[in-house]
Amino acid sequence: MSTPLPYPRFPGFDVMSQAGHWDEVTRQLVEDRLEPDGGASFFSRLERRAAGALVDRLTGQDGGQLVPVLQMLEDRLASGSTDGWHHQRLPQDAEVWRRTVLHLDADAQAIHGADFADCTADQQDGLLEGIRTQGDEPWHGLWAPGIWNLWMRYVCSAFYSHPRAWEEIGFPGPAFPRGYKNTGLDRREPFEVAQAHPEQEGDPHP
Amino acid sequence: MSSVRERNESAWLLPADGSSTNHALREGMRRYPTSQTVDAVVVGCGAGGATMLQRLARRGWKVVGFDAGPFWDPDKDWVSDEAGSHQLFWNEPRVISGADPVPLGSNNSGRGVGGSMVHFAGYAPRFHPSDLRTYSLDGVGADWPLEYADLEPYYEQIEAELPVAGEPWPWGKPHSYPHRPHPVGGNGEVFQRGAEAIGLRTAVGPVAIANGRFGHRNHCIYRGFCLQGCKVNAKASPLITHIPDALEHGAEIRADSMVTRVVVDEHTGRAVGVEYVHDGVGHFQPADVVIVAGYSIETPRLLLNSASRRFPDGLCNDFDLVGRYLMVQGAPQTAGRMEQEVRMYKAPPPEVSTEEYYETDPTRPYKRGYSIQTVSPLPITWSEHLTAQGYWGAELRRRMSDYVHWASLGALCELLPQAGNRVTLDEQKDRHGLPVANFSYSMCDNDRHLLKAAQSTMEDVLHGAGAGETVTIQRFAHLVGGARMATSEREGVVDADCRSFAVENLYLTDGSVLPTQGSANPALTIMAVAARAADRLTGAA
Ligand SMILES: Cc1cc2nc3c(=O)[nH]c(=O)nc-3n(C[C@H](O)[C@H](O)[C@H](O)COP(=O)(O)OP(=O)(O)OC[C@H]3O[C@@H](n4cnc5c(N)ncnc54)[C@H](O)[C@@H]3O)c2cc1C
Ligand code: SF4
Repeated sequence: MSTPLPYPRFPGFDVMSQAGHWDEVTRQLVEDRLEPDGGASFFSRLERRAAGALVDRLTGQDGGQLVPVLQMLEDRLASGSTDGWHHQRLPQDAEVWRRTVLHLDADAQAIHGADFADCTADQQDGLLEGIRTQGDEPWHGLWAPGIWNLWMRYVCSAFYSHPRAWEEIGFPGPAFPRGYKNTGLDRREPFEVAQAHPEQEGDPHP
Repeated sequence: MSSVRERNESAWLLPADGSSTNHALREGMRRYPTSQTVDAVVVGCGAGGATMLQRLARRGWKVVGFDAGPFWDPDKDWVSDEAGSHQLFWNEPRVISGADPVPLGSNNSGRGVGGSMVHFAGYAPRFHPSDLRTYSLDGVGADWPLEYADLEPYYEQIEAELPVAGEPWPWGKPHSYPHRPHPVGGNGEVFQRGAEAIGLRTAVGPVAIANGRFGHRNHCIYRGFCLQGCKVNAKASPLITHIPDALEHGAEIRADSMVTRVVVDEHTGRAVGVEYVHDGVGHFQPADVVIVAGYSIETPRLLLNSASRRFPDGLCNDFDLVGRYLMVQGAPQTAGRMEQEVRMYKAPPPEVSTEEYYETDPTRPYKRGYSIQTVSPLPITWSEHLTAQGYWGAELRRRMSDYVHWASLGALCELLPQAGNRVTLDEQKDRHGLPVANFSYSMCDNDRHLLKAAQSTMEDVLHGAGAGETVTIQRFAHLVGGARMATSEREGVVDADCRSFAVENLYLTDGSVLPTQGSANPALTIMAVAARAADRLTGAA
């Protein structure tokens, strides 16, 4: 499985091994997240190819998936669950998603002669970075900073809700009813895992 | 003052066996038919609404409280998980606009019995006396039609009822707290250490988390999920601090019931009740007194949606004041990278505060000030801090993997009330066919100065603690105002007792009525203002 990290920073950290200590409702919720059913529930086939490539690039996942972000995203969009607001300069969230993935294909065709999903990772990143740094100018008639914010909000809230992502950052997840006993600097619970001293070797924090 | 239990038995009405909800109390709840005119209806069972319900029920009033959201059972409905807590927020559509649009929903308001305090962080500071007189003292904002001394006894009451834990408070009008301060985790330690290094005074608290057992509520287990709803019943919210006692004294709660209109008799000019929708069916509940406490967005929206022949521009809106002077605190958060592991997700996010920069400093180029507190974002929220720096993709993943090393502080800046910051009705409709709120917000120069000053103080503290890199995210928090209290109908929507100038039996008792916001988190003040209004309404004060 590919990962943007040179090595796991918390080797052997297994969040789900602690699931027996969680309350039933939370455990069920997190376990369901590991095996999401549904998926393929919002985008058309065409939209889904671009959307899949987009969310993979945004979360640094290529070749091999740590977290099924696309499936989680589609389930959320299909259920109409929003953050409870949208900016006056943009249509509602679901419409923004649909339109923007098609615009990505249009740009990819115009510039690289291929669908977004068929571009190289560098080409994809170039297109995305262009939108991120577009400033207040509209992109295909849509307000670019608002699009970027919306994309990142949706993909990060999916990605960082997943135990595999928690393991990558050292977060043990649910904490009820056990709670924590060793709070304070440089103090760990028995079930928290020490880092593979990143400060000395191959610093993943540049 | 009588003992807490004699005044408000909520904590003792919860089950003693470690479960969260007294189901028998809810099942045995008194129910009023819609054919009966009750003494009062309360729209919204949050900070202001639930306080009102409990006070009125205690005095023998027949009251019905409505909430658009569910009657939560923390055991079944809440999870110890960030994404899974999304349902606690007001996720119905709203539109944001203006030069500095304020994201709502998960960032700002709740839905369901207990209101936004279900997922509030738990800080419970008082306002300073100066907050009620900013116009006289500093020529900005507005003076309240109340004095600090009017609120003080209510602060004491509510602090005992939540209850609040903290060190003796040196700022504002100095006071102490009913519960001792909690021990401090890694994030709090960084704040204390950095503040000491730069000669800045801090204090632990004040948090609405009992220290020790309180009634049948359990001790905090330092699990850090306060913003996801406290499954332990350690952190206060009206669901456990005021609703149980209200039910015990004959109040009815109608959950999942969205009030769509306050009805006013065209001839008498009095409010006669509310229309509401439950399970898709519309009803009317008549009442002698109508009290609205739906939060600073929904309260103005409901008034504007309740236009009639007598009030063509919205209820109580003869002077175009409904929805205006809506405030939000500037809430930048600055995080610093420590050599040590901080693991800020452990311990409650609210730990340590300073109000040293709260008051106007004549040597600075701005009026009013800011407070600084610990905040401890969980992973999804922490990713927003990094995406705000422009990181994405592989770079974001690498930086996120450093999570355990970061400590995080938040400022609350007193952004000034302005008439143009307001709620209006949008063209977009909700699922009941009602226009949704459009909240327009723009800052002024004084506001921008404050944000800069607060950020640089947070950076100094973190560097003082030994942090290397720092990152800052610009945010807003805590909406109040939108139907402010004043001495006359030309300046405000309600009077000092929260009674509307336009309709003599209509009251607003939530954060909407605040004329200024200080740099304090607002929930305690909202409850204190509501408790005072209840005393005034029932002739007890
Ligand atoms: C993430 C977060 C952290 C916070 N942290 C703190 C903190 O640490 N300290 C602090 O003091 N404050 C904090 N706050 C703010 C605080 O929770 C609110 O200011 C306070 O709860 C507002 O009280 P209220 O009575 O105005 O409204 P709410 O408590 O929001 O209650 C309003 C209720 O009315 C209901 N409602 C609205 N419209 C209708 C309608 N038409 N019909 C029926 N029901 C309706 C809603 O469902 C809701 O339950 C925080 C808020 C958030 C979002
Ligand atoms: S840290 Fe304490 S108060 Fe906060 S949610 Fe956990 S148990 Fe409740």
